[in-house]
Amino acid sequence: MEFSVSKSDLVRELGLTQGVVEKKTTIPILSNILIETDKDQVWLTATDLELGIRCACPARIKKEGAGTIPARRLLDYVRLLPDADVQVKLQENQWASLVCGRSRTRIAGMSRESFPELPQMPDILARLPLAMLSQMIQRTIFAISAEESRFTLNGALLVLHDKGIIMVATDGHRLSMIEQAVPLEVEDVYKALLPKKAMLEILKLASDNGEAQIDFAGNENHLFFQIEKRLLLGRKLTGNFPDYERVLPKEHSHSVSIGRDDLRSALERVSQFSDERSRAVRLKVAAGELQVHSSISETGESEETIPVEYGGPDLEIGFNAQYLLDFLRVVDQTEVEFHFKDSNSAGELRPKAAPEGVNYRYVVMPMRI
Amino acid sequence: MPRLICHVDMDAFFVSVEELFDPSLKGKAVVVGGKADQRGVVSAASYEARRYGVHSALPLRTAAKLCPHAIFVEGHPERYRECSQKVFTVLNRFTPQVEMASIDEAYLDLTGTDRLHGPPLRTAHALHEAMKRETNLNCSLGLASSRLVAKVCSDQAKPNGVLWVLPGQEAPFLAPLDIRKIPGVGKVTEASLNSMGIHHVGDLARLDENFLRERFGRWGLALAGKAKGQDAGSWFDGEIGALEDPKSISHEHTFSEDVADRTELETVLVKLSEMVAKRLREHKLYSRTIQLKLRYRDFTTITRAHSLDHGTQFDGDLIAAVLDLLQRNWDGATPVRLLGVHAGSLKRNEGQMSLLDEPAAERLRSAFRAIDKIRDRFGVSSISLARSMQTNLREKTHENPYDLPGKAPQEKEESIPPARKPKN
Repeated sequence: MEFSVSKSDLVRELGLTQGVVEKKTTIPILSNILIETDKDQVWLTATDLELGIRCACPARIKKEGAGTIPARRLLDYVRLLPDADVQVKLQENQWASLVCGRSRTRIAGMSRESFPELPQMPDILARLPLAMLSQMIQRTIFAISAEESRFTLNGALLVLHDKGIIMVATDGHRLSMIEQAVPLEVEDVYKALLPKKAMLEILKLASDNGEAQIDFAGNENHLFFQIEKRLLLGRKLTGNFPDYERVLPKEHSHSVSIGRDDLRSALERVSQFSDERSRAVRLKVAAGELQVHSSISETGESEETIPVEYGGPDLEIGFNAQYLLDFLRVVDQTEVEFHFKDSNSAGELRPKAAPEGVNYRYVVMPMRI
Repeated sequence: MPRLICHVDMDAFFVSVEELFDPSLKGKAVVVGGKADQRGVVSAASYEARRYGVHSALPLRTAAKLCPHAIFVEGHPERYRECSQKVFTVLNRFTPQVEMASIDEAYLDLTGTDRLHGPPLRTAHALHEAMKRETNLNCSLGLASSRLVAKVCSDQAKPNGVLWVLPGQEAPFLAPLDIRKIPGVGKVTEASLNSMGIHHVGDLARLDENFLRERFGRWGLALAGKAKGQDAGSWFDGEIGALEDPKSISHEHTFSEDVADRTELETVLVKLSEMVAKRLREHKLYSRTIQLKLRYRDFTTITRAHSLDHGTQFDGDLIAAVLDLLQRNWDGATPVRLLGVHAGSLKRNEGQMSLLDEPAAERLRSAFRAIDKIRDRFGVSSISLARSMQTNLREKTHENPYDLPGKAPQEKEESIPPARKPKN
């Protein structure tokens, strides 16, 4: 195998694959990137067996072939090269030589034989604007559980139906749901559990190409996301996602409308005086005001009052400040609605004026403090 | 006005209670804790058995070698608790300031009770007699101006005696005593002090505080205070009757034969978790850190902890955490000598509520309230999870029963840092 590529093309595409390369060295071949020649390009493939990614990089092929090279080392080195063409040549003994300007380097590769085969992309289920999907991910991903033992919560539920897409994530304490109306040609309701790592990779791909469309497909075990020549695939999470509709409150007794940034900065300041681990703050509502209060015995306390339109009963509800901030940091609208019932029932945050066709709800369970 | 603290220590409590139920044991060498050939340690020994060198915390098998003719009994935790309750009733008549330090000892703050009961010694004798009359048990009383000296006093008064150290006489009283008599000084500290030529409390009291601080850090200062009879350091500081939450709650089990069978280990862990969870509920505490302790045949011990995202006091959460820890940390083959379940990061409230499991959690809470009531009425073994029914662990009986006022059980001996090397 022998080809030449532009340094910048190679760095860009290698960069996109890095998140998928296996970090542990239990299976050495997975630390490598598979390079295959194809007409006027080379395919770069990486996988950690959970995720797989395949990107194309324009190249002038001198001799066809394929081989694998340690991914991290290759990128770290190529990144430092001058902006010029890089000549790559793979020898019979699996050593790759790289020549660029005055630099000559040899890297020990491995035979492609032991590199796992990625599954083929099945028929497309839906085509969506990539920006829309990435926005839905940003508004839910933070609610995914970090608790490994709760594996069905280690990703988000993706629902496709003929009128739109729904994405839901929860860690058992709070739940974030976004519904986007968009006509789709799906026959039945399609549901799948999307692993968090795949969602992060989609965000990465979207940041590189915001205008693109994304083709989505799924087979029994995998989910596929094709953005032009880049293909990301991830193993589906198995298990039953909780019945999120049961958790979404049907109605709330009380609600206040509040400036996103007012609430956000109040929470950020006050929570400096909350327990580091639980981040507990108290929200007190009374006629015409919402107060955020927090204290750690023998360390300090802090409170802030925000004027709001409220005429209901005085109430005090404990919350994890971090949970509330997670929502306030991603919501676009400058006014949010806070709905609540009492100190033992879930509270809910929503954008006050969501754009047409978007339904964004964030439900948070209180803390007993 | 000087404080008047009384330390009441029941004499050979477990043995004496056993004698109440089986008078034939009287005057004989009796060891409570288990059978002579079992693993585990002596909970209590009668004075006759003590003559042969048997004392609590000694391995049962060693006790059997030292005193082969001793009568070994398993013990009856429910009887001890019942008697402890009676002891408390007597003490509570003398002052409301009673603190049960364990199942068989208590501190009383008698300051200012002379108008009611008369001078200290008369009060002490009245208490001593009331105790014998109403519980049929002997106890020893120590009276002094501090908890520490009162405790040392009751020890010196044993058996069945009363000792009062007059205010101002604390230092001369303590000076000739062995340093081991100071609560908190264990084997390690003793050896370390002995190596500096310190054998008696008096030797310690004469030392410069700065020297002790340099050698032992903050603990050295506490030691200096103790040597002068002050309530210095750790729990001797608190007011009597002031309740303190425990820092952690744990239960351990030593197998009589090492076990390498997963099912058996899991069964014991389930049982231990149940015991820990029950005590969490008794103390109205929620734990966020569950720890597994494993000790192998060669005494290598590992502890592994799991942090939960919410506080819990329910068996199921503890069980899931410890079984997972066992799964991850035990190789499935090495025989295990001891298992322990430890709940830490204790809080008064459960913290974050669950969004998904809240209705189930509420049902669970009421189920456990019912279970705890059944246990309180019919005994701990009257109801248990099916998974733990195969085990029959003996209860730990040394700590203070939860419904009596007192400091929560101390989980560990006072941790004593090794002596620092003097700076050159």
